Amino acid sequence: MSQIYDIAVIGAGSIGTSCAYYNAKKGADVILIDAGDIADSTSSRSDGNILVCDKQPGFDALFAKASQDMFPGLEKELDYNIEWTQKGSLYLTETEEEFEIASRFCSDMKQCGIEMRMLDHKEVLEDEPYLAKDIYGGLETISDGSVYPIGLAYAFALAAERLGAVLSLHNPVVDLKKEENYFSISCENGTILAKNVVNACGVRAPLIGKMAGLDIPIRARQGQILVSEQTFRVARRKVHEFGYMLTKFQSGDYERPVSERVKRNEVAFVFEPTASNNFLIGSSRSFVGEDIRSEIDVMQALAERAIRFFPVIAGIKVIRAYSGLRPFTPDHMPIVSGTAIPGFYIAAGHEGDGIGLSPITGKCMADIIAGEETFMDLSPLSFERFSN
Amino acid sequence: MKREVVIIGAGPAGLAAAIEATKNGCQVLLVDENRTAGGQFFKQLHKFFGSQAHSAGIRGFEIGKQLLKETEELGVEVWLESSVIGIFAGKRVAVLRNGITETVEAQSILICTGGAENPLRFPGWTYPGVMGAGAAQTMVNVNRVLPGKRILMIGSGNVGVIVAYQLLQAGADVVGIVEGMPRIGAYGVHAAKLKRAGVPFFIGHTIAEARGSDRVEEAVIARFENGQILKGTERKIDVDTICVAVGLRPLSELAQMAGVKHGFIPELGGFMPIHNTDMETSVEGIYVAGDTAGVEEASTAMDEGRLAAVSVSCALGHLNRADAEQKKEEIRDRLASLRQGPFGERRMNAKNRVIEMGVTM
Repeated sequence: MSQIYDIAVIGAGSIGTSCAYYNAKKGADVILIDAGDIADSTSSRSDGNILVCDKQPGFDALFAKASQDMFPGLEKELDYNIEWTQKGSLYLTETEEEFEIASRFCSDMKQCGIEMRMLDHKEVLEDEPYLAKDIYGGLETISDGSVYPIGLAYAFALAAERLGAVLSLHNPVVDLKKEENYFSISCENGTILAKNVVNACGVRAPLIGKMAGLDIPIRARQGQILVSEQTFRVARRKVHEFGYMLTKFQSGDYERPVSERVKRNEVAFVFEPTASNNFLIGSSRSFVGEDIRSEIDVMQALAERAIRFFPVIAGIKVIRAYSGLRPFTPDHMPIVSGTAIPGFYIAAGHEGDGIGLSPITGKCMADIIAGEETFMDLSPLSFERFSN
Repeated sequence: MKREVVIIGAGPAGLAAAIEATKNGCQVLLVDENRTAGGQFFKQLHKFFGSQAHSAGIRGFEIGKQLLKETEELGVEVWLESSVIGIFAGKRVAVLRNGITETVEAQSILICTGGAENPLRFPGWTYPGVMGAGAAQTMVNVNRVLPGKRILMIGSGNVGVIVAYQLLQAGADVVGIVEGMPRIGAYGVHAAKLKRAGVPFFIGHTIAEARGSDRVEEAVIARFENGQILKGTERKIDVDTICVAVGLRPLSELAQMAGVKHGFIPELGGFMPIHNTDMETSVEGIYVAGDTAGVEEASTAMDEGRLAAVSVSCALGHLNRADAEQKKEEIRDRLASLRQGPFGERRMNAKNRVIEMGVTM
């Protein structure tokens, strides 16, 4: 009889590696399984923003803040350079109307304990001198930061391994069966037995769910990114348009004054400087299955939108373009919970927040499996919420 | 914007293809990132080999002029100084032209972007004065500037030897040709001219180092056996220029981006797009020709371009099947005759392997 692990985590992205780490930290015998390598999919195609500014006031913001608060200690705890920086983030508002919506949002978030402040026209231009001169104002979030996402997944995976977790990489799961006291996980390189399973497969979570007989409502929401050449410091920290909130949640009556091309590709300007003086430009949204080919129309919309906010970008070269898949759920909240199948857990569906929410997700998943109380009521993240 | 056929690269393959496809009735757009069409033709002052059908005995730039003239007479639409930045889903070709990216939707795409010179890394390889042989050839034959006075050529293949001779003709002192293999690589007729001019061939040698203060002033060469430099055999040569001619590789980034199946064929330059006997790749409607489809010569490139053009014309309904097959057979026969002899046979065998690999994914 082969070994029965306490926990098999399927998926070695930022979420799965974090789940492996925090469970191993609690003393569980953990095996981390992935069809490919660590951070092979969404985690190697995302930006590294660790944000609370783009969460909704209430549970969403508090959960994200709890995760963000874990980052300053992670580098030391995991003994890995994850390039954590905490310079805050800046939202830009194009119009008075946007500024008004942002102001209401700012005061709601402050009530949740998120440190934010409005910047008027003059202040925002002082903050980022290369901004277009007509930017109406801004909203600063003090605690926002950034990491190197691939590094983060490696940091968690290697730290888990040091705690005794087994890494079973390049080993696709082909089937999963519930026996009386354990799960039998058929993989290409043999069968793995475990008392508990954590499905941390991001956009592929529905495939693993199906093997267990669960219908997980996660869809791949594609996003494209442009990478600039190494250049001068166009902006000192993460800058994005407040319209991003409106496109992310597809909500509100407010219509941005944008071109057809920007609108049809659901493009909202996101700027992230990297440690090596390039910068990334996002963001777009579309449901195109698992297609991660770049699309010229989207690339042009991204560039157009970036130049609108930072005209100086028109003279800077793009050296790369790539896209990735966000694991999207219908209510934009992840699933971090158990299921009707005892021992089968889901940690997936973080859409564009998987990097930022990975520490708290792993920690909560370890608490849930151990039967301990989580730091707050996680019912908004339950799988059950989709059962109707 | 829509065009039936977009041909990327206006070198030997692209020009020949544009002419053939236009004659057959295709609506063609020929795109090239350079200021003039012609690819490497206008650097080639030497006479071509092959049969009458391959313009044998005519100098490269003369063939280029002929093709350009024919292109003009046929009224082929040519976009120069226009860079293709990508091929996107639905056979859309994005072209950066006059600072604006235009997207051209094509029914067929022919990629003939040519090859790129392989680099050779050795201590000092980044000094000013160390350059690809192709760069030296452009300087001397196109821009009429001598890259240096005392030149060492690394590589004795046709490119190395032909460029060395042209540098010699232009007044430079070619101080030697270094060849890692124990034999001269180029056709005898080209190598013999240098021999007669007294240029030494250092066979079984390689470059160990380039030295200098702010640019190359001295080359250190040494005996080379089993991939190793033999210690104690180093010899110093005063030079101001080192040209590197150690082979070419297919430029296939656009084919890769389009999802074309690739294979590794060392004799044809390494990693390259796989194609069938019609020059079509694994992606329906995307064709390759010339050095992109495996590094050979301008003569084979032109015929591959024509072959691809005939296939495209047939696929788009401009040629009936029987006529197209007859034309294709004629071209294939000519290609076979170009791939004879000790040099050609190697390429012929390699090309056969490409065909055997197949274009199904």
